[in-house]
Amino acid sequence: MTESGKTGATGKQRLEFDMDLLVGYILLIGVLLSLALVLAALIWKWMVTRTVEFDYTLSGMNFVQLLTSELRLAATGALRPRLLLTLGILMLMLTPFLRVFVSMVYFMFGLKNWKYTVFTAFVLVTLIYSLCLR
Amino acid sequence: MISFQLLFPISILAGFVGAMAGMGGGVVIIPVLTLLGVDIKHAIAISILSVIATSSGSASAYVRDHITNLKVGMFLEMFTIVGALAGAKITLAISPRPLYIVFGLVLLSSWLALLLTKNSMWHTGPQDAFTRWLELEGSYPDQALGETVHYKARRAYFGAPLMFGAGVIAGLLGIGAGAVKVLIHDLIMGLPPKVSTTTSNMIIGVTALAGTSVYLVAGLISPQLAAPVILGIATGAFLGTRMLVRMTNQAVRRFFLFILMILAVEMLIRGIRGGI
Repeated sequence: MTESGKTGATGKQRLEFDMDLLVGYILLIGVLLSLALVLAALIWKWMVTRTVEFDYTLSGMNFVQLLTSELRLAATGALRPRLLLTLGILMLMLTPFLRVFVSMVYFMFGLKNWKYTVFTAFVLVTLIYSLCLR
Repeated sequence: MISFQLLFPISILAGFVGAMAGMGGGVVIIPVLTLLGVDIKHAIAISILSVIATSSGSASAYVRDHITNLKVGMFLEMFTIVGALAGAKITLAISPRPLYIVFGLVLLSSWLALLLTKNSMWHTGPQDAFTRWLELEGSYPDQALGETVHYKARRAYFGAPLMFGAGVIAGLLGIGAGAVKVLIHDLIMGLPPKVSTTTSNMIIGVTALAGTSVYLVAGLISPQLAAPVILGIATGAFLGTRMLVRMTNQAVRRFFLFILMILAVEMLIRGIRGGI
């Protein structure tokens, strides 16, 4: 690539450059945060009970129901190892979702590309549907 | 129930073997969990959850390196997520036996694909009107070549329905089905190998989320299994990927591919014999 080619990047390209970084960091931070929550849950459980076995189930609840019930529990101050573990699982599921959401905002406002805004919105709506499944 | 002390090292090993063979940890952990007595549907559910961690983790690095094509990813995700929802619903409805057989067959064909595909298979061709309309093209900095590679994808009309099929496989079996996706990107859509593997990684995360949601509502995600498997596979995949980058000897990779073949045959035999 010539020097003029490098410096001659359009605004669009510069935006794309930032977008790649943002998407990359969303994925990285989401996964690391989720792993940290799971690890913290295990360490806490070990310190309190000298075992790392969790014997509860997540039966019959979708993502949204699970998230609201866990957050409600957290709000009452009932912070327990299992709450951290569930939040770790939920954080992991939230990571790709956030990536799609940010991509849609980028296509809509950054690139003003309506074709891809519609495509990304379809993915987002389908994911929301799957997170609210009964 | 299997103890954490056993499951954690096994998951690290599964993540490591998967990464060294060029696949995800799912293809290793599912057969191993079923051998340890876990019901295959629970194994599939836990595996697909861990797939989100491994694929998003590695996708993050590739996206930041500007190799991943966001538009190709977004377009094809429309098809894979619908496929994954359908696939996971099928798994909930059917008996375990066909799952073993399909798992064995998919693993065997992915194994063949990994063994046979070579980077030299990539070649560009004329871009059709539909793919041009979709703006599926791009460029990326190739560090090995020391230059920017420009490419134009093609045959998106053919790639899209095939990606729906790849999504069904991912949701059905709880794996990333990366080998299938890469094959579609390379051979059908004419994407350069680096772009196809990295973009497939990004697609896998979203596809796995759709599948995971179905398994979560069905009550198949067991926190007891999730903790060691997520942490273990992520650790193993991280170590395996680091090793793979440094490794030049193809014999080591063949050894890990051989392990995958044994797992595939073993799943097939259990499926055909029945009495699981």
